[in-house]
Amino acid sequence: MFQRLSAYHFVARAVLALLVLAATESTALAVPAFARKYQTSCQTCHIVFPKLNAFGEAFRLRGYRMPGETAEMVKEPPVSLGAPAYKQLWPDSVWPGEISSAVPLAVNVKLGDVNASTLNEDGTVTSVKNDLQFPREVNIFGAGTLGDHVSYLAEMTFSENPNGSVTVELEHARVDFDSPFGPEDLFHFRLGKFAPNVADGFQEMWISTDAAIDSVFAYNPIGINGGTGLAGDVSPSPIALPDRVRGIEGYGMINHRALWVAGVVNGVGPSPTDTTGRFDGNNAKDVYARFDYKIGGMGLDGDMGGRPAPEKNWRDDSLRLGVFAYRGDASNINFPVTTEEGLNTNIQDAHFLRTGLYASLFFKDLNVFGVYLHGSDSLQTFDAETAARLGTVEPDFHAWFTQADYLFYPWLQGSFRYETVTPADPSVPSLRTGVFNASALIRANVKVMVEYQRDLRQGDNHSLNALLRFAF
Amino acid sequence: MIRHSTFLGAAVVAAALVAPNAPLGAAGSAISGTVKVTGLASGADAVVYIQQAAGTFPAAKPVEMDQRKMQFIPHVLPVVAGTTVKFLNSDPTPHNVFSPDNEKYNLGTWPQGQTKDHVFATCLKPPCVYTQLCRVHPEMEGFVVVLQNPFFAVTNKEGHYEIVNVPPGAYTLGVWHAKAKAQPKPVTVGADKPATVDFTLGR
Ligand SMILES: [Cu+2]
Repeated sequence: MFQRLSAYHFVARAVLALLVLAATESTALAVPAFARKYQTSCQTCHIVFPKLNAFGEAFRLRGYRMPGETAEMVKEPPVSLGAPAYKQLWPDSVWPGEISSAVPLAVNVKLGDVNASTLNEDGTVTSVKNDLQFPREVNIFGAGTLGDHVSYLAEMTFSENPNGSVTVELEHARVDFDSPFGPEDLFHFRLGKFAPNVADGFQEMWISTDAAIDSVFAYNPIGINGGTGLAGDVSPSPIALPDRVRGIEGYGMINHRALWVAGVVNGVGPSPTDTTGRFDGNNAKDVYARFDYKIGGMGLDGDMGGRPAPEKNWRDDSLRLGVFAYRGDASNINFPVTTEEGLNTNIQDAHFLRTGLYASLFFKDLNVFGVYLHGSDSLQTFDAETAARLGTVEPDFHAWFTQADYLFYPWLQGSFRYETVTPADPSVPSLRTGVFNASALIRANVKVMVEYQRDLRQGDNHSLNALLRFAF
Repeated sequence: MIRHSTFLGAAVVAAALVAPNAPLGAAGSAISGTVKVTGLASGADAVVYIQQAAGTFPAAKPVEMDQRKMQFIPHVLPVVAGTTVKFLNSDPTPHNVFSPDNEKYNLGTWPQGQTKDHVFATCLKPPCVYTQLCRVHPEMEGFVVVLQNPFFAVTNKEGHYEIVNVPPGAYTLGVWHAKAKAQPKPVTVGADKPATVDFTLGR
């Protein structure tokens, strides 16, 4: 499959890119298994689910443990897999552990009423009205702790296709070792498939809009003169700041206020012509790191320093700042591209770097957050038949978004997001998108959303969706 | 290891609350009985009380309502009007205490080991029920029931209650439960003649 790129038909390409934009969804979770385990409300950890409040963030970062958790806070007693005293007998016995007494399964269901208008390449407009996508997706997952220092998350997503078939995706499958040594919360390690903490605070458990932040997570840098827009169904999987990785990550909190993250992951998957059955497209690993500092509010580990907490538990007057970087290597992974002259080429991204700044400000019922992302790539073009190297370009792009969430009532949140990406290919103007979202909790675990998304450069591209999400 | 202390706690609370409230030297008798709640397995946490007793009753010593294991303990706390309730937070997480009932109050949010006091000064038409809520944990619920006199008891897990040191006389015995109700019943207590009154509460 070859991507057809023309230097002159950039408008059409940009439109295609936006078609994709309207299709990507955020994939955040609410985990009622925890509500059962602690017999507590969703509001203990969430603002408008899946968005976490400061306590929920601490619970997540601590490996699904409440700050200062004691055994008596767990209302569902676990099953012992060995008395703790067996630790003294090791290696002459199996190290003891625990499992929950019931399988901590939880389900999220999403229904959508979709209204979309899309400008086609030939200038016509396609409109979809009240397409009842019931259901849109169902997530089944389990999450919890296994004794003092182990936690896990596994999630499968079932999304229904128009022909009635179902696509299953394994979104998470990870095990964490929480504070196995050293001071509490200074070292956590996870391995498996997971959402990397490099995007903590602006993805996964934070984005309450249905639309994902495509400017940051879906920009595709591959192109003759660098990238032109967002990744669609591009094979192999596009080179982007990943929202899921396969690998190993370490993270921890220093002095309640700082977060460190470092990961080593597979990176870009194999080219479709690769028959080795491998998951990683090459032998090089991608690496990432992040450092955050939070000023004011609750500590990242839930520490309040003995100060009183705000009685409205979504409030957390604070400023959190972060820097992050992801360095990838996609050498020997071919992205097929046909030039305007009709020459079939393969482009490889020998190495790429994504660096970013993150800021999040909570003030009373308002949360404003955003990310600036800079990307650089090293694209090598090869003749698809002869494998002769045709040239190298080193394009740059940048993207940023800012989002404001305002809580009108504990059950009603309004969100606005502006996002933009300036592609590396100079012939392509910046993509700009606005998203409005109103989310209402009609019950603690049932959410109704109305979301309007608009291409701010091409007014014929817009969508207005009504969504119902529930978690149990 | 989980400590199952709720059951023991309820029985102790019922006994402990009554004794210190009894007027000193009163040669009273006891009213006891069992409360059943239709549709519920347990008749626990019902307040059985004498609606009106002659005389005025000074505020008792301050009593405590704990927030522990993310619960209000005791779940139901009857007090004589004028009593100070000390709200303690025993959990490592911050808790808040407020009540949307009657004159309403919000004591704020405080960390582990600290207490805040609230005086339940008056109650014009007993029982005055104040639902105790925590903004941080919406599932948390407790009740302070303000009464005219100290002749009250909370039922234990078996639904049993005992009001001791009741001065001889004829009274009306009321019962309060968060989810069920029943009509008050007359009761007469003699100097050495304890009375038994059972209630069946319906929705
Ligand atoms: Cu609480």
